[in-house]
Amino acid sequence: MPLAIELKSITKRFGAFVANEDVNLAVESGKIHAIIGENGAGKTTLMNVLFGLLQPDEGEIWIDGEKKSLPNPAAAIDAGIGMVHQHFKLVPSLTVAENVFLGMEIRKGGLIDHAAQIKRTAELSKQFGLQVDPTERVGLLSVGIEQRIEILKVLARGARIIILDEPTAVLTPQESRELFQTLRGFVAQGMTVIFISHHLEEVMEVSDNVSVLRLGKNVATRPTAELTKSDLVQLMVGRLVSFDRLPRTPTIGKTVLEVEDLWARDDRRLPALRGVSFGVRAGEIVGIAGVAGNGQTELAEVLSGLRSSSHGSIKLNGRTITGASAREIRAAGVGHVPGDRLVRGVDRNASISMNLLMGRQDQSPWSTHGIINRNYLLEQTQALIKRFDIRARGPESTAKSLSGGNIQKIVLAREFTGSADCLLIDQPTRGVDIGAQESIHGEIMRQRDAGKAILLISVQLDELIRLADRILVMFGGTIMGEISGDRVDEEEIGMLMAGVVPEPRSNTLGAA
Amino acid sequence: MSDRFDSLFGQGLAILFALGLGALVILTVDESPVRVFVTLLNGAFGSPERIAGTLLQTTPILICGIAACISFRGGLFNIGIEGQLFMGGFWATWVGFSFNLPPALHLLLAMAAAVIAGMAWIAIPAFFRARYKTNEVVSTILANYVAILFTSYLTINWFKRSGGQSETPPILQSAYLPELFSFSRLNWGLVIGLVLAVGVYLFFTRTSRGYAVSEMGANPKFAEYGGIDIKKQTFLVLIASGAVGGLAGGVEALGVHHRFMEGFAPGFGFDGVIAALLANGNPIGTIFTALFFGALRSGSLLLEVDTTASREIITVIQALIILAVSAQITIRRKASDSTAGERRWKF
Repeated sequence: MPLAIELKSITKRFGAFVANEDVNLAVESGKIHAIIGENGAGKTTLMNVLFGLLQPDEGEIWIDGEKKSLPNPAAAIDAGIGMVHQHFKLVPSLTVAENVFLGMEIRKGGLIDHAAQIKRTAELSKQFGLQVDPTERVGLLSVGIEQRIEILKVLARGARIIILDEPTAVLTPQESRELFQTLRGFVAQGMTVIFISHHLEEVMEVSDNVSVLRLGKNVATRPTAELTKSDLVQLMVGRLVSFDRLPRTPTIGKTVLEVEDLWARDDRRLPALRGVSFGVRAGEIVGIAGVAGNGQTELAEVLSGLRSSSHGSIKLNGRTITGASAREIRAAGVGHVPGDRLVRGVDRNASISMNLLMGRQDQSPWSTHGIINRNYLLEQTQALIKRFDIRARGPESTAKSLSGGNIQKIVLAREFTGSADCLLIDQPTRGVDIGAQESIHGEIMRQRDAGKAILLISVQLDELIRLADRILVMFGGTIMGEISGDRVDEEEIGMLMAGVVPEPRSNTLGAA
Repeated sequence: MSDRFDSLFGQGLAILFALGLGALVILTVDESPVRVFVTLLNGAFGSPERIAGTLLQTTPILICGIAACISFRGGLFNIGIEGQLFMGGFWATWVGFSFNLPPALHLLLAMAAAVIAGMAWIAIPAFFRARYKTNEVVSTILANYVAILFTSYLTINWFKRSGGQSETPPILQSAYLPELFSFSRLNWGLVIGLVLAVGVYLFFTRTSRGYAVSEMGANPKFAEYGGIDIKKQTFLVLIASGAVGGLAGGVEALGVHHRFMEGFAPGFGFDGVIAALLANGNPIGTIFTALFFGALRSGSLLLEVDTTASREIITVIQALIILAVSAQITIRRKASDSTAGERRWKF
């Protein structure tokens, strides 16, 4: 089988840090090749080298049997490589066709030839089975369709080798399946796909070959069919990790958080929550499942006082906290692990200790008469670094110098050690590697066992299945249904996530 | 630690680069750059009198720089310090010549008037920034012109000293800010500035309120999430910055001129903003950058006497420094993978 891409002994250093060390990668032409690895394993660096965004310190890049140097992305595009980034770069006010041809507009007499662009977009759309309306404005479209446009952009630039960075992170299970269909269509037409993912099931389902990176080195490249999911985990982490539902004892107490008929608007003033009602009891983890953008973020923001509700009531321990400020809600006993930890959860440029201080800077013994108690802060920081196993050089390390998992541990260390008896946890392991995921899950279970009422919002179903006592599925700002955590049918949840109420079925034993 | 070194090193390099370019400019007017720089140094530090003269120029720049530091730390950009200084200077003078009071009390009231005038002058921009997110850069910069023309109008049309000059009557001795030495007009304003610099530094590094302001400046969403009242704090930070800007005017009026006149304090407010920028918003660092600008100003006096170069050369060099430093800041921001809208002023 000819090789579409061959990377030979790629080494890339950032100062003293080696992101890729002597990495070899051979991607067969006409195959779907998955690249997996923990965060910081060097996947993104390697792909950026391949796409000309970074220059390797050592090593060679061969494309279709020819040695190439790729000084910039333009050179990579010329060589037939296209990259679909995790975060889409589309202009919402432009149409689909305009976005596809942005920067390489088809011109006629110095003006943009809109008709030709629309025609070409429709042709590409048809050829590759990526259904879009070329004349629609992007701002009105769903995430799944935005991704199709990103892929069309790459195809319009003549890519024969397509790199997708975590493409399924924002999709519903159904949308993911459609994407896989598209990818299989690509290889059927002789193209090559490189697929970066965290989701092992997906890798097992869609890829022909898989390469595993660990700590900047590649540890294995095998045909996917020869491997099991647990083999992959072991290769990635270097040890055995279990992803089964965590064992638990019933510790459920009185209702702590009570939400009734809650309505709220999003940043565009459109309704994001439409009459949400539920309760969370002490010692219980209530999971919120749903595709990102169905009101989960707004729910967490309203509950933590960062967004105002337009109707309905929120009660904490029987006391109404509707309309209270973030400060008052914190004081009333709500801890919040925000979904976007780099934006809300930490100040990336500040030290660990300064990040741990947030929200309690006015409380004794953290400060006395308005003066920060530096010794106490330092002691506490050291203790929390130890207890939460934050891998850092010391209390003065800046947050941005840490990996995603360790940054998340700072947030947990701060929010879990306050006096809160209700915890709002939004995407606790997004972008966090498997080793840290395990310890974060353990910490959340300990909080449950300590009698905290926990609302856990996650777009990862396996996380909810592992942790939640009950799962509520959100779609379009409403709760579509409730499923007990120990009897989950992924198909049923998937349908609820897509806004379809499934037919009642007798078989609820889970799709094992 | 190495961060701090990097930034100091970078700043130094930027200044050197600007001086180098300045040397080229001096060559174009057929003067020796070495002679110009030596004259500058001599003019700024050549004798106790000249050092005092330099410190006299440094004082208002320092106090204005501290005012700028306060707003920078909160992620805000008070560029209206010039206007606050004019208002502070005018109203301190007004208290100084309108009332007859015991010495300490008179001085204190005149200073208070300066502070209140500075706060009042930023109150409207501060309110609109806090309540409606109106860009404070635009509103404070516009307020500058109004302040300068308004104080000029008051001076000429309401409080002009009988006979000649466009200036107010002199203030009474009881409102003088005492001089430090017999041989110079250098006064206690310098001490006020130094104490203020240390105080503001400690406020930001040691107190919980200072922490809250710093985090609001570094990452407002994080601060909001942590329960900090962004609107209220934005208003207060700008008011505090304006208060110090007004104080700078009071010190200038009560310590140096003992009256208010047109062109009362040319560009001290803007120099202060630049000094604070050069020091990365650190009030301690601002002491040194303010001294640098003070030395340029006072050294340039001798320049015209001893060389064929004109004072405008100094303005050119200053502009080059600003250019070099802002270019350096931009490059650094681009190099660090900063998220959108993030501003950081490091200590």
